[in-house]
Amino acid sequence: MSWRLITDDGVSASFGLAADEALSPPTLRLYTYRSTCALVGRFQNVAREIHVDFCRDNSVAINRRPTGGGAIVMGADQLGVALRVPALPGRTRELMGRFSEGVVAGLSDLGIEACFRGKNDLEVDGRKIAGLGLHRDLSGGLLFHASVLVDLDVRAMLRILKTPFEKITDKEIATVAGRTSTVRTTIGREIPLEDVRSAVASGFARAWSVTLTPGAFTDKERAAIDRLETEKYGTEAWVFQTTLVPDAAGSARVKTPGGLLDVHVSLVGRMIKAVYIRGDFFAPESAVADLEARLRWHPATPEAVAQTVRSRADEMGIPPDALTEAILAAAQKADPYGCFVKAHG
Amino acid sequence: MAVPKSFEIPADRHYDSVHHLWARRDAATGRVVIGLDRFALEALGDLAYISLPEPGTTVDRGESVGTLEAAKTTQNLVAPIGGTVVERNEVVLKDPLLINRDPYDAGWLVSIEPADWETQARQLISGGAIAAWVESETERYRSHGSVE
Repeated sequence: MSWRLITDDGVSASFGLAADEALSPPTLRLYTYRSTCALVGRFQNVAREIHVDFCRDNSVAINRRPTGGGAIVMGADQLGVALRVPALPGRTRELMGRFSEGVVAGLSDLGIEACFRGKNDLEVDGRKIAGLGLHRDLSGGLLFHASVLVDLDVRAMLRILKTPFEKITDKEIATVAGRTSTVRTTIGREIPLEDVRSAVASGFARAWSVTLTPGAFTDKERAAIDRLETEKYGTEAWVFQTTLVPDAAGSARVKTPGGLLDVHVSLVGRMIKAVYIRGDFFAPESAVADLEARLRWHPATPEAVAQTVRSRADEMGIPPDALTEAILAAAQKADPYGCFVKAHG
Repeated sequence: MAVPKSFEIPADRHYDSVHHLWARRDAATGRVVIGLDRFALEALGDLAYISLPEPGTTVDRGESVGTLEAAKTTQNLVAPIGGTVVERNEVVLKDPLLINRDPYDAGWLVSIEPADWETQARQLISGGAIAAWVESETERYRSHGSVE
């Protein structure tokens, strides 16, 4: 079987997203955005996720993906992956893992052992190296998105993306940097993005047993892209739409037998969007990052949080009940509905 | 995650066997309430967001009647019948997990004044056909996921 392969670089935010939606299947597109773009997930509230004034003052383009997940920055050092295929059977969670095999295989060729987190991202030693997303259209056809971190300026990213931290200091920058990995830092050299693109292309060809045939956008796709940019991705109505699901953030500082815990939680309705766990305790950084990743886009109910915390209890150096209490205490302070998350006791 | 051995599929409504939305007609008002079935929720997982059309919106069968997000995946809700949206469930717009908790009652999505219920309902699964459909669909889900 043959897939078309499209590669393009330095595209605008609206063009990049419109082009992905306009692709005829089966097509793999590996591309870069013009530095820098801030892209929120399908349903996020821009004002909640992005420092809009900073973006406007610094020519950072803001837009909204058709796929889910969180806010990301994209530019010359991040490889955009868009795979458009016809309908496939299977559960969403399993399809995401299947699609990500192409990226995993490509990174493996570069000497990077990445793995698919059950619902979220690709990670190396518990640290995110690629974000993933998926959209199923009315016909059942699928658009898979991945943003591969070839390199990342964390300080610059934190000027664009909002975090639960009250202020950004070197400590917060180090925390976020400790939760992410890049191709260049993992392999220890300034590999050109083009080499990463070639590896990922080969990875998809191998993972899906397909032949990739270089191609370009058709006239029909170009017309669709123009229309989508005009009617959707270039409009304030699309970019700045809001959802009624409330966002909230909360923090808790708790003394535990294992040490002081400093927990920050971001909630979307009854879902944990992100958790940052810091403090005066002994645990491998990878274990903390792993637990934080497992709690992303995770129900905030006491039972669900306790179960996930228990699954990583051995490595955390903190009694699981105490860790669960701290996370729920932070979530309770965030509580967007009022009194739906109760810490025990 | 293992696929459940059985799925809760009430017999008192019609089902779109492809897109897994249910439709239940109120005999008194003629209006049709629409929601997601357990097969859909098993495939999706916990819902993070949902959008629904505003009252007054007309939608044809097979068109989008909203969009949802679960596990970083977004997809359209495909209308099992066409008509005019009379009411949408404002509660689930703020608390999408209610749909996972109670998809057949409190987690309803929209109420529609149908354009042609009699014709379009014949394209849905109902009554005595539900049991066989549930059995075959359960087996199909098992073949795509690990068995509990």
